[in-house]
Amino acid sequence: MVKYTIKRLLQTLVTVLIVATIVFLLMRMLPTDYFFTEDQLMKLTPEQKQEQLEAAGLTDPVGEQLIRFYGQILRFDFGESRRIQSGVDVVKVIGSKFTVSMRLGCTALVISLFVGVFIDIIQTINKDKLLDHIGTGYTIFVNAVPSLVSYSLVLVFGSTVLGLPSLYSTRNPGPSSILPVVCLSLASIAHYALWTRRYMVDELNKDYIKLARVKGMSFNSIMVKHVFKNAFVPLVQYIPTSFLYTIGGSLLVERFFSVPGMGPLLNDAIIRYDVNVVQTLAIIYGTMGTVGVFLGDVLMMLLDPRIKLVGKGETR
Amino acid sequence: MKKNNDDLFRFVEYSAEAAERTGYSDYSYWKSVFQNFLKKKSAVVMAFIFFGLVIFSFIALAIGKYDYAELLTDSALAFQAPNGEFWFGTDNLGRDYWCQVWFAAQTSIKLAIIVALGECFVGVTIGCLWGYVRVLDRPLTEIYNVINNIPMIIYMTLIALLIGQSFTVMAISLICFGWLPMARNVRNLVLMYRDREYNLASRCLGTPVWRVLVKNILPYLISIIILRLALSIPSTIALESTLSYLGLGLGIDTPSLGILLRNARNYFLDYPYLLIFPAVIVSLITITFYLVGNAFSDAADPRNHV
Amino acid sequence: MKKRTKVLALVLALGMVLTGCGSSSAGGNGSGDGIKDLVTWETSNREMENMVILNTEMANDLNVLGNCVEGLLETDAQGKLIPGLAKEWGTEDGGLTWTFKLREGVKWVDVNGNEKADCTAQDFVTGLEWVMNFHKNGAANTSMPTSLIKGAGEYYEYTKNLPAEEALSMDNTKFLEMVGIETPDDYTVVYHCITNATYFDTVCPSACLYPMSAAFVAEVGVENVLGSSNETIWYNGPYTLTEYIQGNTKTLTKNPTYWDKECSLFDTVTIRIIEDITVGFQLYQNGELDHIDLSEANLRTIWNDENNEYRDQLVEKLPRKYSYQMHFNYDKYNEDGTPDTNYNTAIANEAFRQSIYYGLDLTKYFERTNFINPLKCENNAYTMKGLLYFSDGTEYTAKVKELLGFGESDGKTPVRFDGAKAQELKAKAMEELSAKGVTFPVELDYYIVAGSQNALDTATVLQQIFSECLGDDYIKLNVGTYVSSQTKEVIQPQLHSFVINGWGADYGDPQNFLGQETYGEDTAYYSNNYSNINNATDADLIATYKEFTDLVNKANAITDDMDARYFAYAEAEAYMLQHALSVPTLLDISWQLTHVNDYTRSNAMFGIQNYMYKNWETSVDAYTTEQYDAIAEEFYK
Repeated sequence: MVKYTIKRLLQTLVTVLIVATIVFLLMRMLPTDYFFTEDQLMKLTPEQKQEQLEAAGLTDPVGEQLIRFYGQILRFDFGESRRIQSGVDVVKVIGSKFTVSMRLGCTALVISLFVGVFIDIIQTINKDKLLDHIGTGYTIFVNAVPSLVSYSLVLVFGSTVLGLPSLYSTRNPGPSSILPVVCLSLASIAHYALWTRRYMVDELNKDYIKLARVKGMSFNSIMVKHVFKNAFVPLVQYIPTSFLYTIGGSLLVERFFSVPGMGPLLNDAIIRYDVNVVQTLAIIYGTMGTVGVFLGDVLMMLLDPRIKLVGKGETR
Repeated sequence: MKKNNDDLFRFVEYSAEAAERTGYSDYSYWKSVFQNFLKKKSAVVMAFIFFGLVIFSFIALAIGKYDYAELLTDSALAFQAPNGEFWFGTDNLGRDYWCQVWFAAQTSIKLAIIVALGECFVGVTIGCLWGYVRVLDRPLTEIYNVINNIPMIIYMTLIALLIGQSFTVMAISLICFGWLPMARNVRNLVLMYRDREYNLASRCLGTPVWRVLVKNILPYLISIIILRLALSIPSTIALESTLSYLGLGLGIDTPSLGILLRNARNYFLDYPYLLIFPAVIVSLITITFYLVGNAFSDAADPRNHV
Repeated sequence: MKKRTKVLALVLALGMVLTGCGSSSAGGNGSGDGIKDLVTWETSNREMENMVILNTEMANDLNVLGNCVEGLLETDAQGKLIPGLAKEWGTEDGGLTWTFKLREGVKWVDVNGNEKADCTAQDFVTGLEWVMNFHKNGAANTSMPTSLIKGAGEYYEYTKNLPAEEALSMDNTKFLEMVGIETPDDYTVVYHCITNATYFDTVCPSACLYPMSAAFVAEVGVENVLGSSNETIWYNGPYTLTEYIQGNTKTLTKNPTYWDKECSLFDTVTIRIIEDITVGFQLYQNGELDHIDLSEANLRTIWNDENNEYRDQLVEKLPRKYSYQMHFNYDKYNEDGTPDTNYNTAIANEAFRQSIYYGLDLTKYFERTNFINPLKCENNAYTMKGLLYFSDGTEYTAKVKELLGFGESDGKTPVRFDGAKAQELKAKAMEELSAKGVTFPVELDYYIVAGSQNALDTATVLQQIFSECLGDDYIKLNVGTYVSSQTKEVIQPQLHSFVINGWGADYGDPQNFLGQETYGEDTAYYSNNYSNINNATDADLIATYKEFTDLVNKANAITDDMDARYFAYAEAEAYMLQHALSVPTLLDISWQLTHVNDYTRSNAMFGIQNYMYKNWETSVDAYTTEQYDAIAEEFYK
């Protein structure tokens, strides 16, 4: 197991490196004109532009730039932001943002896991009864309405009817977090409820459940001891990833409520050709994703011993 | 009443073919799926509603009073509530909303279905191989990780900048990055089923990989696949509207429901009908797809058969 | 367990809100003398990026930093120059030498208002050195000093060729030697100009001439100046930036040591980032903002409903400081990289251009900005209205309109629109151009940003105006999109037929506007970037442009008599417009709800001080239409 863990972590490193390289190359595919603001494009002479590009090291051959980039990664030096916060260390820019995103995201995730699974259990117990249909209705509604619209509805309803603050404020993070958290939870509750229900209903149809019923086990103890546990296995794989992804924040929610988080950062950085920020973000997202999958696999393995990831070479 | 028994009983020649036939039942997987599906009346109704909607979008454009291609702006007619002349009212420029909504509905349905089918095909194929063939696990996991961990916005921005924006580009790029969850889901299920005893038996008997996959494992996956398929439709519409919001969506000459909804965001408090009509159509598409998908996935579960 | 605490905290917080523990709303101070803590807004794509005022040219940054650092001069509500750090200033040789006498006792302070140093003439030298030193400041803000101050351009070139280490460690000795700036004593700054820059003082409110303290550079280290945070920079302006949460809030707090003890300042100014003005309107309704621009839908709803609570609070904004023009491209290419000969031949024809100039009834286009008073948005000059005045008080663009022969509007159609004349011109153009082998309709390509419905709607309206006014047999307007940068995706490949945008003035002289359109000059921004006139081949067109360029240069040579100078410019401008080398479109006048009296804000067409929160008059209750009209009437009297 230890060996496997080390191996997977090394693989993670490789993946992150590949991701970083690809993003690095993708960004270099953009014409260097994107380095300048519209104003600078207008006002700088071609020579001045060339000089600035040279000063930024963007005129060197891509291979050379790439090697320099690797060197920086090895030294954990991610460079300075250029246009998000001009001249400030990227680590500092991101550092000030990710805690905000993570706080909101984790709150929403915990809420949605509990509420989602709770809704789902109620639904499964009351399969094909009124509560089930209400639950399904909610799931369908949330999935049916694009988030752009449902967030607007939450925003309007929350601010005009309930009088909640509609902009995130660091002075009173509690109340002003409510609406963003609701938005974040809204979709993921439906997500968890939907998939747990699916897996639970699948599980309920299995033969061992019938056997357990025949043996005279109570429905509730079957649900808790068998169904839920088994249905949770496929779901559990996504939980670490979801937790890690909370760091990344949500573009739409954070834009709508002006949350100073990570969500809109990537898009802003690409548009502004802030290469260092984009690359650092890519490394962060890459690490989150791969580590998340790894943890998910481990969790799945712990919960269901039948699943083997460590190949013993017994089959093709 | 005594009869000659020799007339009634006689020996037959041994025939391998006939022996095989005894083990044959009149069971066809897909036939049972459809039979089971048709039993669910509500789902059948939903399926009809969906097809009705698609057909109606064409009729609606034909019977509408205005032609989408020839819409004129007139600020005096802006924000007219639905009436006899403008069945769905008018938008902020005084253009007929009816033909815009139905035109957009066609675009969106087309895009969503193409993307869903494309994702499904690519995702299932790759997912099965990924989960079943062990040597492919490493490289495919690597490819998955790499594609999945490069934020989509980077791709979409680059595609928009370097290739341009059109329906085809959009559909292909959504498929290219959309198969991942489906593949991963399928892979995990295949991982769970591949070492079940009956598959072990199959493998011992020398059944080829594709046959194990298609005959033994795939039927177990169908319910999940169909559910994902049904969910992919609303998520495509939502994703498309988000991308349009960032300026990375469809070209300006192809309005979609996502774009209408995005615009309605600015107006819906004062002019709710601008939101309601496209939202209802999106919801109809989603709900019918979801319910049909659910029923179909129940029907597709082989354990519910026979 | 920790997670659960969070959930609990959230529930508690919810309870608190529901029991009404929310913070007091903006402007709720209830006293009669206006708002103490102003809450204003900015949209999220205009977030501040840079804390060093000398290093940025973006309005996003300057709107905030203009409150933190103070320059030589300020601008007032009339758009005129008033004393800032310089208490008196002037030139005695027609603009070659400018002397500024500084105020004594001005202090640099840190973010918390602790005194750091005195602000003296040396700081202006350090500031200009910083700007012109390539290795210190890149090339930001260099264009105006290079073209105006003696030796500045040379110094820039000189530092560029130095190794970075050496350039960074330079003090002011070499700079003072090379560049035309001197400090006879601690409170006098003298600038030497390259030409007779009669307008040099109007450059003073721009960032390029702002001061920087050498002690500040020493404190943070020369290589850390760029990348300073609001905590590390020094302030000498009316406010200090006490809070900066990127993408969320900026708070400006009154600087207790600010030199102008007479002026009225807010205790704090909070700038909130909002997603768009629709969200902003809701915030305004909740009392969380003190003013908001109105979107089309909001404005229509309020306007159409007599009983709406905001109906009598609708007030018109002052024009934004851009004079929007349709800048034609005289050397257009197709997307495949071949020249668009058909279009290029057509646009070089004067009758063709004039038919567009006279033939477009832009009322519907104006309605996109201001559907209540669309004709107020009509623009008939190239230079921005209010940039400068003749000595008798006549506004410069009024003179241009007089020369063009435009009277007052009849309130129904734009003054310039002349359908009959346009039809004649159309017939003439079609005849002349057909002879040259031009096929009709001529296709015009206009590009807008993808993803902006507002831009698309406006373009759709424009498309329809072209079709209705000029006919589909004549011109066909195509609308294309760019994803992120118009300059990179459209202007540089020369795909556009025209671009509609406005020039923001750098300084208060018509040269700053007309000088961008001249023929064969490197400094002419529009000629080199948008109109590509220098690549045009049509002899008549070039002759017209040369004539115009001569007129501009003649005007520029007049430095002793300002009225004569401005009049010569007005004549050049009228010539340019009569020949439809550029077609003026719009003045951006939209509607808002506000607690701020815009007529007390600085309103200069140049400089960076229109967002300086100094001497703003505010009202705890929103201004009503009536009040605003009265204020406007008083203001223009």
